[in-house]
Amino acid sequence: MPWNRVWEHCTLILTALGFIIVIGMLLGIISYLYPRLRKPILTVVDILQTIPSLATLGIIMILMGGNQKTVITGIVLYSLLPIVRNTNTGLNSVSPAVKEAAKGMGMTRAYQLFHIDLPLAFPLIFTGIRIAAVTSISVAVFGTFVGGGGLGAVIYQGIRVSSMKLILFGTAALMVMALVIDGIMGLIERRLYRRIGLQVPD
Amino acid sequence: MIEYRNVTKSYGGSPVVKEICLTIEKGEFVVLVGPSGCGKTTTLKMLNRLIPMDGGDILINGKSVKEQNPEILRRNIGYVIQQIGLFPNMTVEQNITVVPRMMKWDKERRRKRARELMELVDMDYDTYANKYPSELSGGQQQRIGVLRALAVDPPVILMDEPFSALDPITRDSLQDEIKRLQKQLNKTVIFVTHDMNEAIKLADRIVFMYDGKILQAAPPEEMLRSPADGIIREFMGKHVQKIRMEDELNCSDIMRTRIATISPQRKTLECVELMSQYEVNSLVVVDDNKNYLGIVTIEDIRDHGEAGQPVEALIRTDAPCVGTGQHARDAFRILVEKKADYVVVVTPENRLAGIVTKSSISKAMASALWGEG
Ligand SMILES: Nc1ncnc2c1ncn2[C@@H]1O[C@H](COP(=O)(O)OP(=O)(O)OP(=O)(O)O)[C@@H](O)[C@H]1O
Ligand SMILES: [Mg+2]
Repeated sequence: MPWNRVWEHCTLILTALGFIIVIGMLLGIISYLYPRLRKPILTVVDILQTIPSLATLGIIMILMGGNQKTVITGIVLYSLLPIVRNTNTGLNSVSPAVKEAAKGMGMTRAYQLFHIDLPLAFPLIFTGIRIAAVTSISVAVFGTFVGGGGLGAVIYQGIRVSSMKLILFGTAALMVMALVIDGIMGLIERRLYRRIGLQVPD
Repeated sequence: MIEYRNVTKSYGGSPVVKEICLTIEKGEFVVLVGPSGCGKTTTLKMLNRLIPMDGGDILINGKSVKEQNPEILRRNIGYVIQQIGLFPNMTVEQNITVVPRMMKWDKERRRKRARELMELVDMDYDTYANKYPSELSGGQQQRIGVLRALAVDPPVILMDEPFSALDPITRDSLQDEIKRLQKQLNKTVIFVTHDMNEAIKLADRIVFMYDGKILQAAPPEEMLRSPADGIIREFMGKHVQKIRMEDELNCSDIMRTRIATISPQRKTLECVELMSQYEVNSLVVVDDNKNYLGIVTIEDIRDHGEAGQPVEALIRTDAPCVGTGQHARDAFRILVEKKADYVVVVTPENRLAGIVTKSSISKAMASALWGEG
């Protein structure tokens, strides 16, 4: 069984996730600090997600060639939305009373952002990260068409040689991966919400 | 000393604060009162520059607030708001010491200060320091809100309707506490409210605002005795309970009727829960027909109570008690002589009617001073 492909898949999504978190949170923070940029930023990330992921990968491949970087770029562009949106929503939903108190205590804008706004928004941001992580797993499956390897390669090969075993292995590995990541992150999320006395959504 | 000099503020061309002049002495408790929208909050927030003024100036100890860095200025002025605004991501201790942390106090000093402050309001450090705000009752939260404002010992504290979202019983005890703290720590307090009773209870001087102007600034008794304007008279008429004067005052005229009661079958733990919710240390016990049975105190529960036991066994029947028809001054005399927190008022059929507290007295005196109106 091609266990190395499982490892490859994990590396792909973890690397992508690193970029998604940094870029996504930055865009979310910028759209919070400069409300005029909120609409344009959210529209762009929204559009990026509506393009079918295979097409996104295709376009990037033509520009960057077929390799792992292409897959990672594709995943990043495709999965930004939940983090950007949740960062922005989270920061904006900090209660006006808390913001007023922060300002009244003499906090500067930056101090307030790092000590109040971001910590309070973090559970929601984390939800965004969790959604992005799960989406990334399935987007990465298409990676094989642009030379990225991963579990997509296993399934695709299974289809070509009509091997039920390979197809099932690839599928099962993907499902386990999604369930484990979702499960662990779900647990962390619950603790985060409880810590600041919020209800866990849904 | 704080000095407002012809301070003006407009929104979109319409003035909301009009050339206000006001001097506040060190250690003075000034209460801004007036109808909704008259400019109280605006006046308050121009002092710590949360709202920029359009004209005039505000001086603190001779120095214009405009010349100071707004963040540094705010760190040295306590600020308490109606919505409390504790930081939900921080523990009680972190909330209290948020300004010290900005001012780079070391950990030891911050901890010591938190202990000191919590002692001031009788909150046990070990019990509460590591709790989050969501685990506290409204009254406890606002106590922490007040401590947060006191953390670096600022000489001036601004409070914008800090107690108006609390239930009447909790509000009453917080009013007593803030007045005590203000005296004890010699703070200058500017306090906004539209509750005339609250103003009378707390103020050294009441500043009555109307339509962006100050109509009168005077000690409570003086304002009650000779309101400078029909508007003030009318406003007070709506807010001070009207009661007959002098000796005709009965206990039923001045008693408070919204009080925390408990039935004798309830268990000790529920009782403690209720006490902490209302922040009182005793409850009046009544049966299902409102018949007065006695009171139960936290000391008795602590010393003789067992978990899960009905409070019936712990009822004290020797609490000071008067009849609805008795003269109010009897209730006052008992309060003073027995050093009690309250006197229970019962009807001739022995039903619970209400309680008389010290603040019932001040309200009654206020009305009496102000006259028939
Ligand atoms: N940001 C703003 N933009 C426009 N108008 C405002 C703004 N803030 C306050 N006002 C107006 O200024 C006036 C004074 O407001 P302010 O909040 O000082 O009143 P207030 O006396 O504190 O009232 P309340 O008792 O309701 O709190 C009101 O008429 C209000 O509508
Ligand atoms: Mg106001």
